[in-house]
Formats: sequence, C-alpha cells, structure tokens
Amino acid sequence: MITTVRERADCVATFRGVSVFLMETLARWVPTTPELEAKILMGRHIWEFAQHADQFGRRTHELRAALHFTRAPVPDYAKALDTLVSATATGDRIDGFYDVILLDVASRYRSYLEETDTMVDEPSVRILERVLTDIDRMRREREAMQAERPDLPRGPKQWLDALRRTVAGVPDFVDYREGRN
Amino acid sequence: MTATTKVVRGVTLWRDPAREPCFDVVHHDIEMKNWPGVEGEAGREKLHRHMNNETGAIEIAAQCLADYPDAPWDLRMRLARQCADESRHSDVLLRRLRQMGGQKGEFPVANFEWGVTLMVDDLPGRLAIQNRTFEAGLIDILGTLRKVWRQSGDDTTADVLDGILADEITHVRFANQWIRRMTEEDPSVLLQVAKAVRFLAEANKAMQVDEDAVDAAGTKVQELKLQVEINVEGRLEAEFTEEEVMEVLKKAGFQSILPGRGGAA
Repeated sequence: MITTVRERADCVATFRGVSVFLMETLARWVPTTPELEAKILMGRHIWEFAQHADQFGRRTHELRAALHFTRAPVPDYAKALDTLVSATATGDRIDGFYDVILLDVASRYRSYLEETDTMVDEPSVRILERVLTDIDRMRREREAMQAERPDLPRGPKQWLDALRRTVAGVPDFVDYREGRN
Repeated sequence: MTATTKVVRGVTLWRDPAREPCFDVVHHDIEMKNWPGVEGEAGREKLHRHMNNETGAIEIAAQCLADYPDAPWDLRMRLARQCADESRHSDVLLRRLRQMGGQKGEFPVANFEWGVTLMVDDLPGRLAIQNRTFEAGLIDILGTLRKVWRQSGDDTTADVLDGILADEITHVRFANQWIRRMTEEDPSVLLQVAKAVRFLAEANKAMQVDEDAVDAAGTKVQELKLQVEINVEGRLEAEFTEEEVMEVLKKAGFQSILPGRGGAA
C-alpha cells in the first residue's frame, strides 16, 4: 500500500521522470525515423507525454515536494529504457515503445490506483485516469498508423520478449527517497 | 563535410534528416520542380513542398527538445506542442495531396531549414532562425497562398492553409516571448541570436541564383516569385512589435529582443 504523502510524491515524481523520458525518446527518434507516417505519430505523441509530465510535475508540489520534482526509475528499469532508446529500426522502435514499455507503464499506473487511497489522493487518481485514457488512444492511433503502413516491418519477437522480461523483472520502478516520512 | 554535415554552395549545413527512399532529396531550390499557379501538378508540388517543410519543422522542434533537456520546462512544453502541431500539418497536407491525386515522393524535396537551424548550437539562436524567421515568413506566405487557392476555386485547400496559419502564429509568438524573456534575463543571449541570424543571412546569400536560372522542371525561377504580402495582422498577433512589422515591410528586423525596447503589450 502507498500510504504516506512522501511515498506518493516519489511515485508521482517517477511517473514524471518516465513521461519526460518517453517524450525525449520520441523527440530523439523523429529526425532519424524515415517513414513519414511513423514520424507524424511520434510527433503527435511527444505533446501527450509533455502534458502528462506537466500534470505529474504540478501534483508533486501539492504533495509537498518541489514543483516538477522528478525521479529517475530504479536502475534496472532505467536500463530497460536505455535498451529501448538504442533501437534504430522503425519496427523495433514502434513495437518496443507502444507494445512493451507503454503497456508496462500503464500497468504500473493501474497498480498505483489500486494501492493508493482514492479519496485522500484523489487529485493523483484523476490525473492517472486521464493519462490512462490518453495511453489507450495513443495505442489505437499507433494501430491505425500500422494499418496505413502494413509494409512496415515489425520488431523482432526475440528482442521484444527480452525487453518485456526485463521490465517484468522490476516489481516496483520507484526509487524511494531515504529518510523519514 | 563531416558525418553530420554537408556542404552546399560553400556553406556547411546539417546533414538531412531521415527520409523514405521514395523521396528524392535535393540540396538547393534550383534542383526542385516548380510551376507557377496552383493548377494540377503546380498545386500538388506546392502541397508536397509544404508537407516536407512541415515535416522539417517537427524535426527541428523535436531535436531542440532532445538537445536542450535543461531548457525551462514551460519552453519545452511549447516545443512539444509545436511538434504535435507540425505533425498535424504534415498529416493534413499528405491527406490533401492524396485527395488531389498526388503521392509522397512525387516531387523532389529539400531540407534547407533543418540544415541551417541545426548548425546553430544554442536554443535562442535556433528559435530566432526557425520560429522567428522561417515560420514568420510562413505567416506571410500562407496569408497569400490561401487567397490564391481560394481564387482558384479550391476552398478546401484554402481552409487547410487557414488552419495551419493560426498554429504558425502561436509558434512565432512563443519564440518572440521566450527570446525576449531570455534576453532580458541574460543580455548575452542577444549575441547568440545575432550570430544565428548572421549565419542565416550568409546561407541565404550563398543560395541565391542568377535571374535567368531555371529549376528542374525547366521553369524560370523569376517566374515563380510569388508576390507575398506582409501579413501585418498575423505578425502583430505573433507579437512582433509595430516597429518590427514596419521594418519587415522593408526587411526582416529583430528590434524587440533588445532589453527594454521591445515588447508588445
């Protein structure tokens, strides 16, 4: 259970850190991805993650941390994110991003919703509900792009499975601050 | 030339962003194909060129996000929004192009804006070139082109350009606001801006062609010069000062970024 304000701040700060990372990953990929439809998809979603990071960043201040307080996830999870960034083929990028990391992040947001007090922490809950709706839409938009470009090669199954296993091996990606609550 | 740069007419520019094999990427306007007016392939080429320019604008804003992680968060938010706007523009132009029987790669494309902007290694300089110069120029061009399309009877394309114009005004406005703010906080930013603008002027000068030059379609370049009206209303909305707008009627101006001098209310 997530019970203290400090724990909530650390979680939300990590959500912010991951959102910024996802925004920057897409930003880095846009100029180096050849396919126009994929570029357009990524360009549109950069703004989605920026908005998520912004909302999380405002919430951290309400949770008695700094405005836009940001935490990197635990090292094992950060390593998985670095693996994603290193992808160069469009199929690897799209599948790794939308089918592995984004799905995993969404499941962690849902876990938070199950573990926090939904009355005491209602503002965080509302933000996460909106973010999850956005993620569902982004994944539908990705499917629509893929339907428009059926010629785009998919990411290699072995690589995707390895990435999936790596993130699944991290039970909690929040790197909590030491000290008293 | 290095792994990241190319030399065009003696000017070192950033190497082109990734494009699909269907695109013939050229390096100078003279290698493009262009025809006067907006009928048939002339219209499709204009949309195709515009689509690639919008794609370049996504890439420039995205690269700024990647290159400057320590920029103020509110400015990064603006750049992120710009990525989404430019993506919508590319998308809507691609769809319109297809509706008109065109396709990606139908005409050559060039990435001059990317090539120049990415040579600048500070964010104020990039904003000065891409948003405050290229996109401000687009305010004028779109203001004119939407009339041309409407006069040709194509209200659909005119309406698309009208929508894009509104977004571009916001991109120029945030660049004006942020350059002004950064310059007020640190006057040395003005030197970065001036250096960037000087580089752009040199690059533009090197790309000029003779009056009798013809492009890859065999069209005389002089015949292609669109009589672009300065979009005074659009520029004022984008928070250029009245002085600057007056100045741009003669030539491009950068007066408002001088601390204590500029600033529309």
